[in-house]
Amino acid sequence: MIVFENVTKTYDPDVVGLQDFTCHIGKGEFVFLVGASGSGKSTLIKLVLKELEPTEGRILVAGRNLGTLPQRKVPLLRRNIGCVFQDFKLLPNKTVYENVAYALEVVGEPRRMIRRKVPEILNLVGLGEKTNSLPHEISGGEQQRVSVARAFVNHPPLLLADEPTGNIDPETAVGIMQLLVRINRTGTTVVIATHDREMVNRMRRRVLQLDAGRLVRDERRGSYDQTPDDLEEGV
Amino acid sequence: MRLGFFLREALGSLRRNWVMTMAAVITVFISTVILGSVLVMGENLDRGATSLENRVMIEVFIKDDATPQEQKAFQQKVLAMSQVKEVNFVSKEEALDRFRETVGDYITKNLATNPLPASFEVYVKDADQVDAVAALFYDEPIVSHTPGTQDGVQYAAKTVRRMLRTIDLIRWGMWGATALFAAAAILLISTTVRLSIFARRREVEIMRLVGATNWFIRWPFVIEGFAAGLIGAIIGALSVYLVNWAVADWLKNSVDYLDAYVYPLWWQGDTWPLGLLPTLALLGGVLGAAGGLVALRRYLRT
Repeated sequence: MIVFENVTKTYDPDVVGLQDFTCHIGKGEFVFLVGASGSGKSTLIKLVLKELEPTEGRILVAGRNLGTLPQRKVPLLRRNIGCVFQDFKLLPNKTVYENVAYALEVVGEPRRMIRRKVPEILNLVGLGEKTNSLPHEISGGEQQRVSVARAFVNHPPLLLADEPTGNIDPETAVGIMQLLVRINRTGTTVVIATHDREMVNRMRRRVLQLDAGRLVRDERRGSYDQTPDDLEEGV
Repeated sequence: MRLGFFLREALGSLRRNWVMTMAAVITVFISTVILGSVLVMGENLDRGATSLENRVMIEVFIKDDATPQEQKAFQQKVLAMSQVKEVNFVSKEEALDRFRETVGDYITKNLATNPLPASFEVYVKDADQVDAVAALFYDEPIVSHTPGTQDGVQYAAKTVRRMLRTIDLIRWGMWGATALFAAAAILLISTTVRLSIFARRREVEIMRLVGATNWFIRWPFVIEGFAAGLIGAIIGALSVYLVNWAVADWLKNSVDYLDAYVYPLWWQGDTWPLGLLPTLALLGGVLGAAGGLVALRRYLRT
């Protein structure tokens, strides 16, 4: 699904975002990206969205080389990637329903389909009752669920989440994570950048750890911190 | 293109961001009023100058003892001149009547005889030719000069020419002012639109993340700009029309030699095929839309 080959990204003047980063994330995987702030997690996500261009190296997403993807095709790429952010990024003047519907309007979905799909997905994330609320009228956890619904309403093959639980309380966070797992079960590849130690430890999924832009750990069933066990396993 | 969706988006945000909408509408309104006033004033001045040029008239006083035949012959000779547009005969009685109208009865009723000469009023086609034409009349035997002078032929040469020159100058000034105000209007409008888009840059960013194409993002903004510009310009154009109408009406009633002009709102053949004011209204809309496009550019760059 995602291939990074020796990717380096440096910002002006010489701040390192990613350094000689290589990894392969397969179709249908569920991956945690961990690492301290500034270790390159967000850079990685922005590179996948082609919000940034790598300084060196090659990135493939769903088999397409982002380096040769023309700028006008970028919207098409993004329609195939659902995105969830720490700050939700909901349109503040649109209702819950309209926010989710916008992702479908963008791809030219017929009105009839929008009317069917939006309530469906809102029920799935448990917001069937709040369709006509504005983002500021609902809680952070609910806003994040709207944003997950928007990311998934098109059934994209890939879903990226940048600190999806960073702004919400732990109990609500569990709900969001369960939602992402459910989405992963439908075959969507899910990549989550997170600081949520407890969550990562509980889920035991693939973990990629970044430090100063370098990949320092890649475990199939990893924990948040590097443990002596892991070292012995020699992963 | 999903016109329905874009229209709803545009209307929705016009309503939500009504303060910015008002700012844009008022900006376009003011610009239109200024621009429209300058243009309409210029047009009135043009017409005033033209009517003044048309009124350049040479008065030729004739001797009391000229026979009707001589008068007739002279009139025909003048009419045959290529530079002359029109010749009117003013008899001694008419001259007295006109005199009475201006000075009142009490002077004229004490006159034993009519001292006023009959005259011809000669209108020339081109104000510039007035000197040349007048010169042709000085030596005509029928013309009555006070001995030693040439006062039998009179025309307001210097005054008229000076006035025409002044009007020409004002006309150029007007065009200069028009260009200046047009530039100011464009700047004002684009600043307002830029402000309103700056306030919504986060929205644009989110739209892009969801995979909206640039034109998908642009259309609602373009429609918004067009609508705001159109509304402002229509109100402005109507105001200019109403004020022009009121002023022209007042001028006609109070200053009777002035040919003030009410600008036709919907049709004005040559310079403005659509009519000046509809053109202004449309221009407001296009300017608004263009403002939206230009201001968005910065946020749509990838």
